[in-house]
Amino acid sequence: MNNNENKIFEFYKQFKKNRVALVGAYIVVGLILCAIFAPILTQYDPLIQNLSNRLVPPCWSDGGTFAHILGTDDFGRDMLTRILYGARISLVIGIISVSISLSFGVIMGAVAGFFGGLTDLIIMRIVDIMLSIPAILLAIVIVSILGADLFNAMIAIGIVGIPTFARIVRSSVLAEKNKEYVVASCVNGSSDFRLIMSVVLPNCTTPMIVQATMWFASAVLEAAGLSFLGLGAQPPTPEWGAMLADSLQFITTAYWMIVFPGIAIFLTVIGFNLVGDGLMDVLDPKLKEK
Amino acid sequence: MKKLLLATLLLITSVAFAAPQYGGTLVFGRSGDSTSMDPSHVTDGESYYAATQIYDNLVQFKYGTTEVEPALAKSWSVSDDGLEYTFKLRKGVMFSKTKYFKIDSEFTSKDVVFSLGRQFDASQPYNKIGGAFKYWSAMDMTNIVKSVTAIDKYTVKITLKKREAPFIANLAMEFSMILSSDYADQLAKKGKQGDLSKKPVGTGPFVFKKWRKDDKIVFTANKNYWNGRPYIDRLIFKVITNNAVRAAELKAGSIHIMDFPNPAEVADLGSNAKIKLVKQEGLNVGYLAFNQEKKLFQDKRVRQAICYAINTKGIVKAVYEGLGKVATSPIPPTMWSYNKNLKGYEYNPEKAKKLLAEAGYPNGFKTNIWAMPVARPYNPNGRKVAEAMQADLAKVGIKAKIISYDWGTYLKKSSMGEHDMVLLGWTGDNGDPDNFLNVLLSAHAAKEKPAQNRAFWKNAEFTKLIDEAKVITDGAKRTKLYERAQVIFEEEAPWKPIANSIVVEPMLKKVHGFKLDPVGKRRFKEVWLEK
Repeated sequence: MNNNENKIFEFYKQFKKNRVALVGAYIVVGLILCAIFAPILTQYDPLIQNLSNRLVPPCWSDGGTFAHILGTDDFGRDMLTRILYGARISLVIGIISVSISLSFGVIMGAVAGFFGGLTDLIIMRIVDIMLSIPAILLAIVIVSILGADLFNAMIAIGIVGIPTFARIVRSSVLAEKNKEYVVASCVNGSSDFRLIMSVVLPNCTTPMIVQATMWFASAVLEAAGLSFLGLGAQPPTPEWGAMLADSLQFITTAYWMIVFPGIAIFLTVIGFNLVGDGLMDVLDPKLKEK
Repeated sequence: MKKLLLATLLLITSVAFAAPQYGGTLVFGRSGDSTSMDPSHVTDGESYYAATQIYDNLVQFKYGTTEVEPALAKSWSVSDDGLEYTFKLRKGVMFSKTKYFKIDSEFTSKDVVFSLGRQFDASQPYNKIGGAFKYWSAMDMTNIVKSVTAIDKYTVKITLKKREAPFIANLAMEFSMILSSDYADQLAKKGKQGDLSKKPVGTGPFVFKKWRKDDKIVFTANKNYWNGRPYIDRLIFKVITNNAVRAAELKAGSIHIMDFPNPAEVADLGSNAKIKLVKQEGLNVGYLAFNQEKKLFQDKRVRQAICYAINTKGIVKAVYEGLGKVATSPIPPTMWSYNKNLKGYEYNPEKAKKLLAEAGYPNGFKTNIWAMPVARPYNPNGRKVAEAMQADLAKVGIKAKIISYDWGTYLKKSSMGEHDMVLLGWTGDNGDPDNFLNVLLSAHAAKEKPAQNRAFWKNAEFTKLIDEAKVITDGAKRTKLYERAQVIFEEEAPWKPIANSIVVEPMLKKVHGFKLDPVGKRRFKEVWLEK
């Protein structure tokens, strides 16, 4: 117990040293808070339209009001409200698609790495095929098959992420599996399942955590891309990518409709990427030494 | 004092400029290129734009109206049974000479027989060339026209199989344009029949010069035009696909007129000191059709409830950006026989809730709205219209899911009746109410799938009125029948009509004389440039 606390404290100390990663962490924490407390932070509903109040500019422009800090869209919905609720959607997208990629990727990678031979060959060739198709293209194909909606987009992005995870896990497993502690456990009569789950895998967590954080950022970006193409979130869902696509025609007349969702996507992606980088620095001592 | 002098001077000069001036090159910026120069084989508006400059019809729509006036035919008479139309042709009209067509060729009856006959008479060699005559079949002309014969050099007789009131208007449409039979023969001799759709020869106000695909088409004025030469010397059609880029080119003055501006940009363009806006109520209607093959929508009260629940005024404001008028009838107000007495369904969620409760859905139901993926003249943004409707319907407890496909799939699937509610619209192309009511709402149009009647509404009384009106030629009587048909439409509510859009054409202030045609043509004969 004490030892664990020490570890976390040590980790925190190390992480804090990396200023850039800390900024990323603040962004991520802020995003999570926004998502959780969205109904408290704003008095409006993200879906209810108010046509008498459409295209109000942000509060600092002429004609803007503090009632709508970031202005309103073409249906008179508060931009800030929609962006805050959009944070919820983006986080859910990230969590679900990373979970899908992670679970399938880990199973495939661990099995391939641990058993080797023909199993390895078959699994890794499938992974190679998936990697050879550009991610967004593969996602579009999957969504077209499943039908355009947000949940299907999450599944598609989850599937697209599988090969990267599988590769990373496989290489870690390969590195670990002939180490003495594994051989010892094997000699003690552990089953294959036990060997994979409780001996090898726990020692491969570091690269997985890093990759999951990074992939979280990509998932948010890909989901925004799919929604932008009309294949992800359907109206009136306040998804950032969909908001961008819906406001294209206003680019010259109502910039705030297109700029703020863009900034939201940008901040989220950069936040998770910075945290991912920071984690890699702290958790991967080899890299740190360099 | 100086100022006053200057003002007077300006006034004098501006008065002096009011008279049309000859000369100059006009550049028209449009969103897409023509697909063919043979108007009988295509159905797209962009191809028609070019064809309108090159060719003439026997009769034409008066500039800026849907009234039919004589063109290549000087006059015509109809037999008492309404089946024989005899056209007296204009004498001395010559086909324009070009680099590839150098002989003197006068327009005569054989050109009419060639141009119309090739579209249904299998004995004509050009019947087999260039693919299907899509519009001819879409207008059901094969079942209307029996024969086209030349009586003498300047007289043509067209015999019909059945009475058809809109027939004369059909002859003013692009697919009935008159091509040169001499030129067709010349091409046949060389074995280059395909050139008919690439290098056109016509009698129209402009002469085709060159066509660089997806870039531009150049025309020169036809100085011998039978109806007087156009004011401008040269006309260039420039393709600029992006709406915003086209607007920027107009602001920069590198094009004179632009087609299809973004609705959101219209106000900005209008406030530009160099630019003016020409507006026209379009001959179109955007609507939401309720699929009566679904049990839910067979109950009239459900359809009426939805009509009350949707705030079309709000939609016109938010999506059409004010460039539209709330519609109450399936035909636009600019069309003759439009019933002014229709009140339409006002926005009234309370009434909607009451009707839903009576129909047995006090808590609403789940359904879907199909949203068009493309901008059309009658609906600038299908997805936004659907989103606004979704919010309106949610207020009365109806949960609607928005569904969209690519344009081709959308049209196909909705014509097979896979939707609950579908957004669509129609632009009239011959100025006849039959072109709306019969094509879109009659039981005939719902009989076979794929169907044009997306509501699958089969009302016997309505269809009977339409059929009656189609075969009589007396305009006043037809008006009465169509007005009654519209009353039935309103009571039965197979659609919620949304809006008749206003078509806007931004252009430089130095362009004069441009009028938008309700039937969607772009004509430049009367247009002149101020120097």
